[in-house]
Amino acid sequence: MAVQTLEAPAGAERWQMLAVRARRRRRLTDSLLIGFLVTVSVPIILPYFWMLTISVSAKTGGVESVVLWRASGVLVPAVVAFGLLRLFVEGRRLLWGGLMIAAIALVALLLLVGQDLHAQNYRFLWNPDIVADIRGRATAEAQFPSVWVAFRNSLALAVTQTALVLTVSTLAGYYLSRFQFPGRSGFLQGLLVLHAFPAMTLIIPIFLLMYWSGLLDTLTGVILVIATLELPFAIFIMKGFFDAVPWDIEMSAMTDGASRRQAFLQVVLPQVKVGMLAVGVFAFIKGWEEYVFVRTLLFEKQNWVMSLYIFWVSEDIMGVDYGIVAAVAVFYILPSLLLYIFCQKYLVQMTLGGIKG
Amino acid sequence: MARIELRGIRKQWGAVVAVEDMNLVIEDGEFVAILGPSGCGKSTTLFMLAGIYMPTAGDLLFDGARVNEVEAKDRNVGIVFQSYALYPHMNVKRNIMFPLKFKGVPREEAERLALEAARMVRVEELLERMPAQLSGGQQQRVALARALVKKPQLLLLDEPLSNLDAALRLSMRSEIKRLQRETGITTVLVTHDQIEATTMADRIVVMRTGRIEQIGTAEDLYRRPDSLFVASFIGAPPINLVEGEAADGRLRVGELTLELRGDVAGAVVLGLRPESIALDGAGIPARVVDVEPMGRETLLLLDTPMGPLRVLQGGASVPYREGDQLGLTFAPQDSILFDRETERRLADVHAAPPKA
Ligand SMILES: Nc1ncnc2c1ncn2[C@@H]1O[C@H](COP(=O)(O)OP(=O)(O)OP(=O)(O)O)[C@@H](O)[C@H]1O
Ligand SMILES: [Mg+2]
Repeated sequence: MAVQTLEAPAGAERWQMLAVRARRRRRLTDSLLIGFLVTVSVPIILPYFWMLTISVSAKTGGVESVVLWRASGVLVPAVVAFGLLRLFVEGRRLLWGGLMIAAIALVALLLLVGQDLHAQNYRFLWNPDIVADIRGRATAEAQFPSVWVAFRNSLALAVTQTALVLTVSTLAGYYLSRFQFPGRSGFLQGLLVLHAFPAMTLIIPIFLLMYWSGLLDTLTGVILVIATLELPFAIFIMKGFFDAVPWDIEMSAMTDGASRRQAFLQVVLPQVKVGMLAVGVFAFIKGWEEYVFVRTLLFEKQNWVMSLYIFWVSEDIMGVDYGIVAAVAVFYILPSLLLYIFCQKYLVQMTLGGIKG
Repeated sequence: MARIELRGIRKQWGAVVAVEDMNLVIEDGEFVAILGPSGCGKSTTLFMLAGIYMPTAGDLLFDGARVNEVEAKDRNVGIVFQSYALYPHMNVKRNIMFPLKFKGVPREEAERLALEAARMVRVEELLERMPAQLSGGQQQRVALARALVKKPQLLLLDEPLSNLDAALRLSMRSEIKRLQRETGITTVLVTHDQIEATTMADRIVVMRTGRIEQIGTAEDLYRRPDSLFVASFIGAPPINLVEGEAADGRLRVGELTLELRGDVAGAVVLGLRPESIALDGAGIPARVVDVEPMGRETLLLLDTPMGPLRVLQGGASVPYREGDQLGLTFAPQDSILFDRETERRLADVHAAPPKA
């Protein structure tokens, strides 16, 4: 009895010591991880932030580097502060703390650079010929198109190619996953091999193909080319998702009275929603950011897409007006950003594989 | 309701023959179990009945009409898969209503029927849940409701109880049996569990590597197994099988000579069920090697001149211990003899213990 009472506190103390040590170690790994994340995220965030800052502050003639430095002087401490906050609090308090930091940063920004902010650089949105406006002369043969023409073309390109890639890859992925046919394994290997070649190597043959088929300098031609190059990988991804859907729910649907097509649409397809979303988002972004092929295959100004528009804007007025280039860039990345924010919640589920539960 | 007939059915994929020369008649309203070890072609048979697989050869008849080429969706067959195969993106109610969608049942009527089916299998509280939020037993009952809701002419169950715990299995067993009696739907149950087959089905089809080994009631299979395979597959603990030589009305087994009833000579196998061996002081000498209490019964492992034998004794405890010397005997009509060459049962041949 006496021995036990003597030993009890010693044991408790030992446990406590171990707990303290474990807590300390956990905190150390946490801080190392967050320190790393903060360090690598600053150089990634900074260019985008500068782009935004330049677009709302630069005046004709050059970049206001004072504004840039002041803004960065607010942003970097804010990111670091958020990292530190993340280390010590979590849940609701983290959210509130984060909002607080954002609010403080915003006030600081307004105080430091507020008087330099303006929307002049965004006048390309309503001014049809921005280059003529800046240079003070319109060259009759080379009138610059409105940004909305390029925007519409880009949207048409991205949306159509997304629809195309999504439809074909879904159907082909399903077929490859479910049916046995001669040449199937060769086809599957082909998908991977095709994906391994850099698309650039095909640029001359594709140009000739477009030229001879009369699709040169048409959006249709570019859409077909980009979609074709996207497809092998998309099909491969979709096949993987279909592979994860068990056969028996499909058989079950068919004994329940569904035709093969109804079973596919009503039972199988809902299981691969996440895969379709991923393939769709990637296809859209690919179409939206496409540069190489539009640069090669499109000439007419009326066919310009956003990437060409931004290229020609910077080509024509670089050195004159950085602000406008930055503003066009902000406008250009906005749709991708919105799409990402909207779909991000679903895309992170992808790690769970094709089907939940 | 339908009378199902399989005539010389074969199914093969390339060189793999899954089912071979299957002949079977299932009467209207009958409950038939297909029993056999893993990979013997039970599921394949079931899927052919459902219309998911098309037989490679032979005729499949529903009420006398050939349905080989009729698609699954037109057969009005309800099926419960081993994995239950509930649609993960639909809640329980929409799962149960799914088959009605293709029958053009109006929505209100469909809801009513779904509720009725859910009541029948006691899942009416779970209608709004998603399949992932259900336990195995609940999923199984939902799958059953979905199979029953369209009032199928044939109900197919592919090892429906194999994922359940022992207690749930017991209650689902009687539940399914009750549902089958109430609805009178012709039912085929696939299982590798003999207890499931014997307790639920009117008749049992024993399969082995794609072929039917025997068709009969539980009693037929137990008392008159057609082959060594059936004899050893049916009954727990398994039957004792000892090899012997028959000649001149005598059967030589190990160091023992038994008397033979019936006309046979050559290499045979003698089968004795553990529960048909009686213990008393006299008879064939035996030594207790091990005593295994099994709850209500006790299994004794004995060393005898015939070789090692398993003997089942009633009661949770027996007055025997390891090393005890006993005598054993059995009734001649309980002995089963097989031809060792063909592995078929020798009808009307029995062995009797030697006269003391
Ligand atoms: N699609 C298929 N292609 C090729 N062989 C198959 C196919 N389906 C089944 N088989 C083969 O047919 C045989 C019977 O399979 P089946 O699924 O009917 O067995 P089972 O009796 O249901 O077994 P278990 O109890 O394990 O479910 C097996 O040898 C299996 O490998
Ligand atoms: Mg099976």
